[in-house]
Amino acid sequence: MASRDIVQYRSPGRRLLSILTVVFLAAYLVWTILPLFIMFVSSFKDLLAAFQLPEVGDWLSIGVFFDFKPTAKHYVDLFVDNNFGTYLVNSIVAAGGSAVVSVVLGSMAAYALSRIEFRGKKDLFFWIISTRMAPVVAVMVPLYAIFRGVGLVGTLPGLILAYTTFNLPFAIWMLKGFFDNVPYAIEEAAMCDGCTRFQAFRAILPLVAPGVGAFLVLCVLFAWNDFLFASIIGSGGAKTLPPATRELVQPQNIQWGKIMAAGVVTTIPMMFLGLLIRRYLVAGLTMGAVRE
Amino acid sequence: MASVTIANVWKYYGKTSAVRDLNLNCNDGEFLCVLGPSGCGKSSTLRMLAGLEHISAGDILFGERRINDIPPKDRDIAMVFENYALYPHKTVYGNIANSLRLRGMSKADIQQRVQKAARMLEIDHLLDRRPGELSGGQKQRTAIGRAIVREPRLFLFDEPIAHLDAKLRAHMRVELKLMQRDLRTTMIYVTHDQLEALSMADRVAVMHEGVLQQFGPPQEVYHRPANRWVAGFVGEPPMNFLDCDLAEEGGDLCVRHPNFTTPLLPEQAQIMQAKGGGRGVTLGIRPDEIALAAEPGLHAFSGQVMITEPLGGDLLVDVILEGSKVLVKAKPNYRGGRGEVCHLTFDRERWHLFDREDGQAYF
Repeated sequence: MASRDIVQYRSPGRRLLSILTVVFLAAYLVWTILPLFIMFVSSFKDLLAAFQLPEVGDWLSIGVFFDFKPTAKHYVDLFVDNNFGTYLVNSIVAAGGSAVVSVVLGSMAAYALSRIEFRGKKDLFFWIISTRMAPVVAVMVPLYAIFRGVGLVGTLPGLILAYTTFNLPFAIWMLKGFFDNVPYAIEEAAMCDGCTRFQAFRAILPLVAPGVGAFLVLCVLFAWNDFLFASIIGSGGAKTLPPATRELVQPQNIQWGKIMAAGVVTTIPMMFLGLLIRRYLVAGLTMGAVRE
Repeated sequence: MASVTIANVWKYYGKTSAVRDLNLNCNDGEFLCVLGPSGCGKSSTLRMLAGLEHISAGDILFGERRINDIPPKDRDIAMVFENYALYPHKTVYGNIANSLRLRGMSKADIQQRVQKAARMLEIDHLLDRRPGELSGGQKQRTAIGRAIVREPRLFLFDEPIAHLDAKLRAHMRVELKLMQRDLRTTMIYVTHDQLEALSMADRVAVMHEGVLQQFGPPQEVYHRPANRWVAGFVGEPPMNFLDCDLAEEGGDLCVRHPNFTTPLLPEQAQIMQAKGGGRGVTLGIRPDEIALAAEPGLHAFSGQVMITEPLGGDLLVDVILEGSKVLVKAKPNYRGGRGEVCHLTFDRERWHLFDREDGQAYF
């Protein structure tokens, strides 16, 4: 195997480039992490401290920003007064539920599309992805009318169904690509070993684990961060975190402390999900299975 | 254990036919090789036997049972794939044990059978590894282990050792043959390597463009090829072919070429007279059935040495004739150099005549 090292030769241009790279990355880090940092710090400040900021340009008194007594008051208020416990559970159920349903149905559909030739397959495949082409807003009103007609508005199953509508086509497209890369021989060997077609499908599922993992993250993120479906389909009985956070903004009283705390509560589970799923995202699991 | 009968089997992919009217039978406990170049339909045949492809027309029988509509899992076959097709996420043990687990065998039984198979294949020290950590030879042994642990009634091998290096391949040929003799299981082995087919099989089926060309023991395929195609495909270095005429000379029927006129042996002449000789024929003779000498002799004719290729134990000599050339396998002590005149004698017991039109062998 060839060396993986990138061969580079020193030159003034490259040196400048490497300095610029560091500068850019530093700026980018500040740009992405600073808001999260402010959110996190502010969620532990009381309202007065949150707005104690130094004058513009007065970098020496930046210490003011950190000069506060930490308080968990906002978190306690959120869960005690504002029912955020329920909303958190709703969010988890809606996002997780739709992700699981989409993965189960999506992997089976993707496997079929990857392995079996049938008439109209291309058209079907295109039709599946075309359902994602319209903006969500465009289908929201008819979807609401339908959901209300069957009594799904304001229920968690309704929300799961709504998210699945949008996640499933995506799952099928993404997972089909992964199934296409799994050699037929492995499932054929499984069938010779005594598997039914369905067992053979299950036998190769571990090989598309990176795809399933990546899709789960994207699917959960879509549902987790969604505001539109949640506020329209979920309004009432199935309120999730984003609409609940929105309600903390009241005309007379914007509750910054709680909003910051709600932001932290919303962000942290997704961070853990990312860490947890990371090992599944490592591709190359099929290496060594068959001779290329 | 089972005999296998393939009766009038056709395989179509869309409108192209991959296998045409194939008839084969494999006896119980026999080692059958299906030999042919890539695209000759041999793999399709194997896959139909395994149940991985539909049979377009015809019947396949295991023993007395027609298996056309039986799914692979119920055929009691084990197949070894060209690219091994191991489960990458399972250990060697898991790979070998999989089929036994699927049948709900007890843990202790599985353990015992996997150990036995692994010991036989000398991979018992690798059972905890995953395929990614194995060498080609080890993967291939694992794939074979997965097949033999089942104790199926039929083994199907799809070019299992094609990707190994030459030395390991020679080693595995012997091992596979020994294994089949020990297990006495019917085995159908597909290969494009004529050496594998000749060295291992009880009988060889030679296929070309979906059509069975010849079916018989290796000796027969080698020494009595049914047609020019088989003659050219089997044997290394390949057979020489010379376009000739038949002519009467001094009362004998002779093969005539610009360089030589050599009489046929009496029984060969009889065959040619009976089968309407006189038409254009192609003479086929293997490089090791031509004697090369510096001095002329009986029925010898002369040519000019073009180039010599020493192979250690043998010496290949390219000899230029009128409008053609022949390859001769000579003794390594032959000292002729480029451009020198040499004298060739055909072993008439072993030469072959083919119809120049349809390529069918007269003898």
